[in-house]
Amino acid sequence: MILEIHNLSKTYPNGVQALKDVTLTIPKGMFGLLGPNGAGKSTLMRILATLQEPDQGSIQLGDIDVIRQKEEVRQTLGYLPQEFGVYPKVSAESLLDYFAILKGITERRARKEVVEALLRQTNLWEVRRQKLGGYSGGMRQRFGVAVALLGNPKLLIVDEPTAGLDPAERVRFLNLLSELGENSVVILSTHIVEDVSELCTNMAIINKGEILLEAQPLQAVAELEGRIWRKLIEKHTLPYLEQEHQVISTKLLSGRTMVHIYSHEAPGHGFELVVPDLEDVYFSTMAGYYSASHHKVVAP
Amino acid sequence: MKFWAIFRFEFTYQVGRPWPWLFVMVLLVLTFLMTRDGSLSEVLYSEFFLNSPFAVAKTTVFGSLIWLVMAAAIAGDAAARDVETRMYPLTYTTPVSRTNYLGGRFLAALALNALILLAVQAGILLGVYLPGVDAELTGPFRPAAFLTAYAIIALPNALAATAIQFSLAARSGRAMAGYFGSFLLIFMGFFVAALLLYHRSVGTLLDPIGVRFIVEDVAHLWTPTEKNWRLLGMEGIVLQNRLFWFSIALVTLAFTYLSFRFAHRTEGIWWWRRKVKRYDNTPVEAGIGARQGAPIFVPAITRTFGLATHARQTAAIAWASFRTVATSWGGISLLVALPLLTIPVVLDQMESRGVPLVPNTIYVISELTGSLSDELSRWVIIPFLIVFFAGELVWRERDAGLGEITDAMPGSEWAPFLGKFLGLGFVLVAFLALQTMAGIIAQVILDYQGFEIALYLKIMFGLQLTEYLLFALLALVVHVLVDHKYIGHLVAIIAFVFIAMASLFGIEHNLLIYGAGPGWSYTEMRGFGPTLAPWLWFKGYWAAWAVLLAVMARLLWVRGKESGLRVRLQLARRRFIGATTWTAAVAAGLILVLGGFIFYNTNVLNEYLTSSEVKERQAEYEQHYGRYAGIPQPQVSATRLHVEIYPVRREVEIRGTYSLVNSTTEAIDSIHIATMPGIETEALAFDRPAARVLADEELHYRIYALKQPLQPGDSIQLDFQVRMKPRGFRENGVDASVAENGTFFTNAWLPAIGYQKSRELILASDRREHHLTQRPLIASLYNVEARKKRAGGKTTFDAVIGTDEGQVAVAPGELRRTWAEGSRRYFRYSTSAPGHEYAFFSAGYAVHETLWKDSTADSARNISIRIFHHPENTAQLESMVQTIQASLDYYTAQFGPYRSSHLTFVERPGNGMGMHAEARRISYAEGFSHWMPKDEPGSLDVPSAIVAHEMAHQWTVPYANVEGAPVMSESIAWYYAMKLFEYDRGPEQFRKLLSWMHEPYRREIRQGEPLLRGLDPYMSYRRGPFALYTMSEYVGEDQVNSALRRLLEKHRQQDAPLATTLDLYRELQAVTPDSLQYLLHDLFEVNTYWELETERATATQTEAGTWQVTLDVQARKLVSDSAGVETEVPMNDWIQIGVFAKGDELKEPLYLQKHRIRSGTQTVKVTVPREPARAGIDPHYLLVDQEAGNNVAELKME
Repeated sequence: MILEIHNLSKTYPNGVQALKDVTLTIPKGMFGLLGPNGAGKSTLMRILATLQEPDQGSIQLGDIDVIRQKEEVRQTLGYLPQEFGVYPKVSAESLLDYFAILKGITERRARKEVVEALLRQTNLWEVRRQKLGGYSGGMRQRFGVAVALLGNPKLLIVDEPTAGLDPAERVRFLNLLSELGENSVVILSTHIVEDVSELCTNMAIINKGEILLEAQPLQAVAELEGRIWRKLIEKHTLPYLEQEHQVISTKLLSGRTMVHIYSHEAPGHGFELVVPDLEDVYFSTMAGYYSASHHKVVAP
Repeated sequence: MKFWAIFRFEFTYQVGRPWPWLFVMVLLVLTFLMTRDGSLSEVLYSEFFLNSPFAVAKTTVFGSLIWLVMAAAIAGDAAARDVETRMYPLTYTTPVSRTNYLGGRFLAALALNALILLAVQAGILLGVYLPGVDAELTGPFRPAAFLTAYAIIALPNALAATAIQFSLAARSGRAMAGYFGSFLLIFMGFFVAALLLYHRSVGTLLDPIGVRFIVEDVAHLWTPTEKNWRLLGMEGIVLQNRLFWFSIALVTLAFTYLSFRFAHRTEGIWWWRRKVKRYDNTPVEAGIGARQGAPIFVPAITRTFGLATHARQTAAIAWASFRTVATSWGGISLLVALPLLTIPVVLDQMESRGVPLVPNTIYVISELTGSLSDELSRWVIIPFLIVFFAGELVWRERDAGLGEITDAMPGSEWAPFLGKFLGLGFVLVAFLALQTMAGIIAQVILDYQGFEIALYLKIMFGLQLTEYLLFALLALVVHVLVDHKYIGHLVAIIAFVFIAMASLFGIEHNLLIYGAGPGWSYTEMRGFGPTLAPWLWFKGYWAAWAVLLAVMARLLWVRGKESGLRVRLQLARRRFIGATTWTAAVAAGLILVLGGFIFYNTNVLNEYLTSSEVKERQAEYEQHYGRYAGIPQPQVSATRLHVEIYPVRREVEIRGTYSLVNSTTEAIDSIHIATMPGIETEALAFDRPAARVLADEELHYRIYALKQPLQPGDSIQLDFQVRMKPRGFRENGVDASVAENGTFFTNAWLPAIGYQKSRELILASDRREHHLTQRPLIASLYNVEARKKRAGGKTTFDAVIGTDEGQVAVAPGELRRTWAEGSRRYFRYSTSAPGHEYAFFSAGYAVHETLWKDSTADSARNISIRIFHHPENTAQLESMVQTIQASLDYYTAQFGPYRSSHLTFVERPGNGMGMHAEARRISYAEGFSHWMPKDEPGSLDVPSAIVAHEMAHQWTVPYANVEGAPVMSESIAWYYAMKLFEYDRGPEQFRKLLSWMHEPYRREIRQGEPLLRGLDPYMSYRRGPFALYTMSEYVGEDQVNSALRRLLEKHRQQDAPLATTLDLYRELQAVTPDSLQYLLHDLFEVNTYWELETERATATQTEAGTWQVTLDVQARKLVSDSAGVETEVPMNDWIQIGVFAKGDELKEPLYLQKHRIRSGTQTVKVTVPREPARAGIDPHYLLVDQEAGNNVAELKME
């Protein structure tokens, strides 16, 4: 099953254009949607999750028209929104059971089995009888995952799922997602580059509603080979450096500033070539030196 | 500084939101309409200026009631916004003190509410001063009227309500808790205050809204002049009430202030937070997957998405919704507090006028149910709670932050909508089940075992539940469509106001008012009778609308983030497929079919007139035919009827003949006949040539010109045929007069001779509107014309009345003969005095027969007494017969002979308690049989008192229909009853009766005239009987009784004019010595009040062993004019001084003598032989004293 998005646009009533003519093809497997806050990620995710209407464009999931055949999409959808709450007075087990019914698992025994499996998978089995009001942020997030996984979704949309997780949980969660990606389309939106680099086979970078890059992470990184240079500088020299070089990112390192620049040739002045990573791809793209449309390097 | 910043921010924030403006708009419109609405003056039978202090206060009360139910969001939002928006970690950590934070927020909400409530006054001003108002109804502009209403009613209400709403919202962190605060206040006003209404002042004190003291007290106690001019004062019960709620507000605020903390709010449980949570943040090993790296295994389950799944989803949501509501504070109030409180309410209400009632099921049910359209019933809290729950349910997922997850789940929008509706429905079913249990428990407590479970089920779960469910669906749909919590609440409340007070908006037809329909009725005799069928048709019609509304809700259900109307409509178009389309089509079809059928019944088969059309007709009647009002017309001297009652078919056919005699002095050339609307009157024919010159079928007026005029003294015969045949049902239901068991109708169905003045418009504003000259409610006492006798000569009445074989039919007169013909049974009655108004009955009666021997008559004769009663209602018979015989004994001896050989009592269907006397016949409603006087010496036998009173009406003087008429009939009859009790029932019952009659008469409406011109219930049932009683104590019973006897004798004469209070007064004057003429004047000619008080009472024993009692008494005499203005007049009156021994109560005094008492303080000394205990002035309250209770004092020994 392939998810195809064509010329999708969405403008909010207050004039903000959240999506501009977005076209994407998302194959089976993990797909990372990378972009800064406010880039339009959540809008795109919600449209895919049938919760919002685009102004223009079409979305096709296999042979389902996502915009018009919402019910069919929902029957095969797992959705974990960026922010969600719970009924504080209800226990995890009974709420998951309730959602299982809503997801169409009406047979009592099957439901019991699924609920138990999911609670065990998400390590909530021990606390299944607790009221959700007493759950910590991580526990709640895991509960959300359990809900999203109900009914073996063919399309799983997870919106910034790792934000509330501690490092260990994050790793395990990503593992879980990658396993699911073996059979389904899993779309992960995030602003954390590592999330994508670690597990996505395909990705897109979105900013201000536009897709800047649609690529496979490894290939994109390979294409940047030999173009990213770095130098450790004093902070006050940064403005001069920016005038001379295409700075794509700066980072503090032991009190001094590490600068990455984009350059086809060796810039000299103590710059050293670095082996690029996905972060460099991201920043180069965001800075406009690396682009989605022709996968080619734009001359400065 | 910070305080002001917080205040200003809160104030400007809310002013910038749409809802305060919507509240203002709604208040403006509703108070405008209420100001223009004349229904209250119709109820009170008197007009008052639209801008009089009373009218302004009344509208202010209802305006603030509406404000209370719709505007709780202001205080709620101010208190809970930070928590609800999860912004509180930012605000709580700023260096702001609790005082500034809470104070600023609260005062901003209060200020905003106070400003919003100004809209009430503005609405009234617009109502009064915009064009379109009857100029006569606008009094001079008095700012004080508006200011006092605002300051005394609106502002304190705003303070108390804002404080409670704010506190609940602050405590729970949820703005909607403010509405729960409103619920509590309404609960106090309508439930608790109503429960305590019997203890009047307590109820009035506890009412937080002011409904009780304006609607119950002021509306009834102020005279019309006072209603126009008197300002509402901050005094008495009003002051106490306001102080009470002011303190409640302060206590609530103090409590909130003290318990408020700038602290983290743990994820809340609705309404409150448990202090200790066992599981709070129990650490759980982080990790996903039982073991890292273990393969993910989620069992593959086949899912189905058919109808069964939808049903299962709906059921799951229904159950979850039920649990949410049932475990919330509102749900606990509904399902626990209300049923528990209902038990004492039922126990309290199972009495009438101080006497217990048999708690049979229909009486208990009538306390448990209420029509949705009765906005002053205690059950008005149910629709309010329904609106509140509907909002909570519609917003449940989104409030919890689960909206996006659930919205992305499969299934149509039907499941959540229907699930929530069913959940709310279960709550209502549970509520009604618990109410039923409460009713049964109350019956058990009252030691009653005749539970009619089937009746409970039918009414509670058939009739009442339907009303609630229809409204619940509407409330849900409104919340779904509006998609904003506060505004949804507002719109739903407006919908309720519209349903309850549709006439305010000029809409009357039940086909146009959601959920409305004709009411049902149930009595033991009639059962539901024919009332259920139209009820069902209307509810079916509204159920079809409800389905259509549900379709709308489904189509416009907000799922996901798109709440713009355009997108919702787009989605709706896409959702309008398959079953939804079919459902909508079927619902629309049903609406058309049922609506068409109902319309055919109400507007085609029957004539439907709006209330203004009815008035129009009345006006036309007068405009067209009023000129015939005074023309000479013959009078009915004999009536012969053949009545056929068909109870099962609910038909009546009457063939009759009137003998009409010209008792005027002029020849009559045309005869005018009024027929009855809704009744077919046919075959009118005279026994001499006559031509019909006019037949106005709309105004029911016919004129027949006689070929040869009817000469004075001559007579003519009129044959007629009258048919009552139900044709479907009317907009207000069916005429249940003819029922399978319990037929009851009056001679109003028969044609009447001449112009009928009673069909004219009465209310002054209606008459002005139709350009009719004003007419008094009743002719002046000094109108000599009105005293002339209506009917000259004897009238005779002879009727054969037939009914089904199992039934007994009753007509006026004595039963002469009864026989059977086929499956019908016939009765012949005749009398020489049927009276002007009489009724016919038919039911499966049992007859209780007895005789009374008239020993006063020259030749001892027997009077037959028949009581036609519902076979099961026998409890009262014995005591009725006793009282009837005692009445006959005493009244014939004292006031004159009983002038007939028969006396009939008939039980008529109806749950009322009343008795009604006509000539030789008294009818009583079924309820009367359910009185259960306590068989103990201390309790008054009220039913017997009423029988004695109705019996006394058989001696009522033929009186003129002028001012003072109710005094002539009711006051004198009650005086008779008092005297009968004094002689027949002993001093104990007599004293009880006196003090019962001293109790304020419920719903008394005071007009302010003196007794001679008295019309209102206070005059006729309270002041009048006591004036006669007082005279009998001062002048002597024999004198007063003989005066009454003479009055009766004079006016019973064939040609005597009709009596008025002036004749009564003259007779009383004749028996009153000169020294007491002043008293007669004080009691009858002016409204005199005495203020008598024993300030100090001491006693010393003399050397002779007797006791000297010294009383310091204070006396004042006041005369109040019709405007309620009291003027003190000097007094030097004879007033009783009484001294009583210990334990004697007031029965046997040691001393009881009249003394001359002046105005002011004075000392009275008397000597008594034995040791006294109490003493006082006017101990038996012979003089009208508004502040009773301080006349007698305990003696201090010296």
